[in-house]
Amino acid sequence: MTSLLLAVLAAYLIAAIHYILAFANKRRSLLRVAEWSTVTGFVLHTASLVADWVIDGHYPLFFLRETLSFLGWALVALLVLLYRYRAPAVGAFTMPLISALTFFALLLGSDSANTPDPLSASWLFPIHTTLLIFAYAAFFIVFMASVMYLLQERELKLKTFSAIFHRLPALTTVNELAITAAALGLTLLTLGMVTGMIWSSIRTGTVWHNDPKEIFALLTWLLYFSLTIYRSTANWRGRRAAWLGVVGFGLVLCTFFGARFLGGYHVFG
Amino acid sequence: MSILLVGVNHKTAPVEIRERLAFNDEACAAGLRRLVDGDIVREGLIVSTCNRVEILGATANDQIDLGAGLLTQFLDTSGSLPAGFLEKHLYLHTNEEAVRHLFRVASSLDSMVVGETQVLGQVRHAYSLAVEAGTAGKVLNRLVHHTFRVAKRVRNETGIAANAVSISYMAVELGKKIFDTLKDRTVMLIGAGEMAELSARHLVNAGVSRVVIANRSEASAQLIAGEFGGTAIRLEQVDEFLAEADMIICSTGAPDYVLTDAQTRKALERRRNLPTCLIDIGVPRNIDPAVGNVPNVFLFNIDDLESVISSNIREREREAERAELIVQSEVMQFQQTLRLMDVGPSIGALREKLQDVARAELARQRKRLGPLTSAQEAAVESLLMATVNKISHPLLNQMRRFYGTSDPDISQAPADTVDPEK
Repeated sequence: MTSLLLAVLAAYLIAAIHYILAFANKRRSLLRVAEWSTVTGFVLHTASLVADWVIDGHYPLFFLRETLSFLGWALVALLVLLYRYRAPAVGAFTMPLISALTFFALLLGSDSANTPDPLSASWLFPIHTTLLIFAYAAFFIVFMASVMYLLQERELKLKTFSAIFHRLPALTTVNELAITAAALGLTLLTLGMVTGMIWSSIRTGTVWHNDPKEIFALLTWLLYFSLTIYRSTANWRGRRAAWLGVVGFGLVLCTFFGARFLGGYHVFG
Repeated sequence: MSILLVGVNHKTAPVEIRERLAFNDEACAAGLRRLVDGDIVREGLIVSTCNRVEILGATANDQIDLGAGLLTQFLDTSGSLPAGFLEKHLYLHTNEEAVRHLFRVASSLDSMVVGETQVLGQVRHAYSLAVEAGTAGKVLNRLVHHTFRVAKRVRNETGIAANAVSISYMAVELGKKIFDTLKDRTVMLIGAGEMAELSARHLVNAGVSRVVIANRSEASAQLIAGEFGGTAIRLEQVDEFLAEADMIICSTGAPDYVLTDAQTRKALERRRNLPTCLIDIGVPRNIDPAVGNVPNVFLFNIDDLESVISSNIREREREAERAELIVQSEVMQFQQTLRLMDVGPSIGALREKLQDVARAELARQRKRLGPLTSAQEAAVESLLMATVNKISHPLLNQMRRFYGTSDPDISQAPADTVDPEK
């Protein structure tokens, strides 16, 4: 489904360019173009994933190409879901990444000749991976909102406002976005880990394999859990919570790439 | 038609001169009637504000110099100044330059504080006075409406009016930057100075729902509280209300700190670390500078505000450069509109002339046709008119397009040159 994904990439690129221009020039009309092409790209992307599923005969989240494309799709889905916080800055920070993910998915080309590990055919496996991909996407949003928070907080404290300062959403807005996305991400991560454990126990009877991905996932879970708890008890607000959102994303990256570089139980295909 | 503009502004003339030239509403109406004689100066408009007096007029293309003289003379006499006195303070713009000047004035590019919003309202008022006095005709109507459009474009497409440039408005800007919307927020004034009151007014206009005023003199606190529907408290009660205040504006004359580090930390704990914006416009300072180090507290003193304002002014100036590009393209567009307006009537006249020729021919040959019913008569006439119109339509359109994009000086030409009687 290369041609369809190419159209998706085009829509995302148009959106990314318009978001960046809207962000730089504070133009409302550009924002409308950006939003519409994001939605168009999302619809096409959904169609492309469904087509992949039907044609290749397996859930389109197994090989690297599929994972990248799916991750991009999940990020757009979250942007659509969190439309309340839409702002030129949010689009300008995420759409380029989403375009890059789609681009690399295209670059890797189709691997429909391969068939995934038959073990992954269980219905639990796609649920496990989908939940986790969405959790990663949510944590990226937390990371982005936290960076926006820290940039602005620093300038407010230093009392020197740069051009980017005037273009970012308000402090409480990015804070709220981070809280919402963190709560969402934590829920998805928990469910994803639980389904993984159930799947594993059905398959081999063990729940925990001590492999790097699992350890990082647990650390990530602990970090976002404490972040959410601290936030709700209001002892940790603002800067400290934002730093945790940034550090947490580092762990997320380790979890995501963990199996690829460190090996272990989570290596397939 | 040509457009002329004569005027003085804050850059070319000191206030002693500007005040002598200023027009109030009545003087403006009377002046317009005196200025527009229907002969040389066909239309007129006077924009008079504290920073500028601009006289705008429309004349025929070949009477620019005469018109310019009249406009200058008008300004001299209405300020009862000796002739020639204004010479070095005056600027005179014609056509393209006059249009550009008006666009720049209305877009607030020529203002003392670039991006201020008042001047557009003043131009609008000047226009309504001219309409009342009956001195705004076809040319100025078009020009002024185009001016409004340009000002709107500049406002919407550039950040020229973004970012506060006054201390009293900074509170709103900082509040919005921290809280996004000021709806349902509480602001506390400690000390009821004029500046604090002005800031509070801006904040209430921006949506702040509750104002708490603490002042040494309870009477003046009550007064302001009455105005904003707020609560007046005593200075000793500040601690009780501190935790509820999202923004605090301090402006007392107290010689030492009214708000200390310990007080703020305690209040912050009570408000569960929600961010707080503190603005200290007192000199000597009212808030302990150490408060600025408390997490989630944003403290600004008078110097901080001043430095943000000057950076905001620089930002506005950068945006003004983009605004100039918009003005430039709109000036060119208006020039074209003006040329089309010039050529419009002569093209209409030409069409009528052609129709007259056809009617005259019909009258001459009418006898040869013999008796006709009225229906037949009408048919013959409509046949002639349809033929004339069908032949001339593409030609006239071509002409209109041609004159719309070229030099205005020859736009008087078509009706005369194609005159079949000559």
